[in-house]
Amino acid sequence: MKEFHEIRDPIHVFVKLADDEREVVNSRPFQRLRYIHQLALTYLVYPGATHRRFEHSLGVMELATRIFDVVTAPGNVPPELRELLPELTNSDHLRSWRKILRAAALTHDLGHLPFSHAAEKELLLPDCTHETLSAAHIGSPEMRRCWGAMKPEPRPADIVKLALGPAGAAELRPRRRLSAWETILADIIVGDAFGADRMDYLLRDSHHAGVAYGKFDHYRLVDTMRILPAAPVDEKEKDGPTRPVLGIEEGGLHSAEALLLARYFMYTQLYFHPVRRIYDLHLKEFLSAWLPQGRFSVDPAEHLLLTDNEVTAAISKAAGDPAAPGHDPARRIVRREHYRLLYERSPQDVAVNRAAGGLVFAALGRQFGRANFRHDRYTETSKPTEFPVRMRDGRISAATALSTPIANLPRLAVDSVYVEPRLRDRAQAWLDRRRAEIIRPPAQETDHDHAGHTP
Amino acid sequence: MITLDTHRKAAIITKMARLLRAAGSWCGETHLQKAIYVLQTLTDVPLGYEFILYQYGPFSFDLRTEINACEADGFLALEPQPVPYGPKLAATARAEALHARLPKTLGLYEPRMRFVAQSLGALGVTGLERLATALYVTEELGPAARLDRRARLLRQYKPHISLASAFDALREIDGLAKKCAAIGA
Repeated sequence: MKEFHEIRDPIHVFVKLADDEREVVNSRPFQRLRYIHQLALTYLVYPGATHRRFEHSLGVMELATRIFDVVTAPGNVPPELRELLPELTNSDHLRSWRKILRAAALTHDLGHLPFSHAAEKELLLPDCTHETLSAAHIGSPEMRRCWGAMKPEPRPADIVKLALGPAGAAELRPRRRLSAWETILADIIVGDAFGADRMDYLLRDSHHAGVAYGKFDHYRLVDTMRILPAAPVDEKEKDGPTRPVLGIEEGGLHSAEALLLARYFMYTQLYFHPVRRIYDLHLKEFLSAWLPQGRFSVDPAEHLLLTDNEVTAAISKAAGDPAAPGHDPARRIVRREHYRLLYERSPQDVAVNRAAGGLVFAALGRQFGRANFRHDRYTETSKPTEFPVRMRDGRISAATALSTPIANLPRLAVDSVYVEPRLRDRAQAWLDRRRAEIIRPPAQETDHDHAGHTP
Repeated sequence: MITLDTHRKAAIITKMARLLRAAGSWCGETHLQKAIYVLQTLTDVPLGYEFILYQYGPFSFDLRTEINACEADGFLALEPQPVPYGPKLAATARAEALHARLPKTLGLYEPRMRFVAQSLGALGVTGLERLATALYVTEELGPAARLDRRARLLRQYKPHISLASAFDALREIDGLAKKCAAIGA
């Protein structure tokens, strides 16, 4: 019997899978990912973007394993870190953690809702996220049987920590804290700078959407990744404690720059494409009307039964039935009658008022009726530019001190207003005439204002 | 939708950055995170960020998003530093213009911000980690918890901090808490 199985993959050529890992892939929570689109309704804009979380999760496992093997290779670990991370010097522990890492990479997306990220916050109960649902699946009886059959047997609690990372683990109750070693392993999977999740989705989304922006030399990047002491944050830290984190050799700096630029362009060109964003909003409106009590169930058994397939069928049905809940957004999705972009953030407007989009949305709503407009706002949540670089002379430096592109990478933000298609010309003309009086500086506080409250 | 409360948060964050720099702080994101943590927790400025214990002590992902937004909106500028150091953050002229529009809010909170800046400005990240984590364990166990119990928990979270340093940090936090009362926080 074969001990390893190989799955062909357009990004990594082959993804290798052990027998016991194939049981995880065959489980219901993992098979469900075959029916969750990686990029939600983006295929309505980029027709090729029909790939699913299933192959992405396999790709993350493959990449995370390659990174793990590089950064734990004995010749790649600085001697001063071996004492701080005893896991690196015990081959049994290392083998066990490799297994946990692969399991975590494979299962990190199990909790995704239909159509991935779209509308997660609004459609789940407070304190519930796709990460908490992933944790529920990883600890479910079905998955525990998979873990129990593995040798060495991974503990579900360890898989959860690595799959969710420090931010996701903080969402769990009780909160889970990660050790320095666990944080490094979680960063290999979901790290802001060059986690396998990020690398795989950029490469895969770029490949399927047919845009070249997301490509970068990930082979070179992975080969130069290392566990390194964190770079000194300030001059006083020179004599501070050594903190092991994920970083790169100087020889990989251009690959890291390429990844960060790829990320920037993929966000600005694809992920923030205005039509893609408005489809997300219409999808949220449909789900809000269609789901019982307007929310997704947080019961893992019910979560298993709901995929993009069920939602797509419901959208098709509702689009043809004016009496159906969510008919209007469903019709807009099916017939491409989505709201049109009317206003988007500009540096000039932000200089006057950072809430310019909100002001435009409110003014248009007052004039033409709020239901005719949608407001979309987003700010980047991560900071991918903070990682150490081991220079050729052996010194450790912050990446921003060595790389002008990394230090000057713009922060990502969206602030847009959309309009009902039939109203577009009228609303645009009205806005053009009044733009200067709508987008004004924040109100000047006076003695009559109560500090800290919105007037 | 953004409200003026968001403007006020941006005003407080950027003013804090300016005061930290004036007090001698390096003022990278880590320094600003710890200062805002102390400002919110010890002096009760109602910013509403949720902090978890992270690599350098208390850290808020929500606050990181807000700092990113302040950079994206031109209120904070990232200043790269010479090898090998991490970048600094500086409040911009646009932030100054925002401060000028919100004198009431800043007037209310500025004494507390100055107090925090003066208390933390001279510290590097190692010192900030010690002090902010001391406050974190004090919050977790309650101010009535005995010093040795708080010190043990601090050491449990941050084993590289010696017991003597843990005691010092906790005494310093207790001292700052008393001074806070004197400035009306």
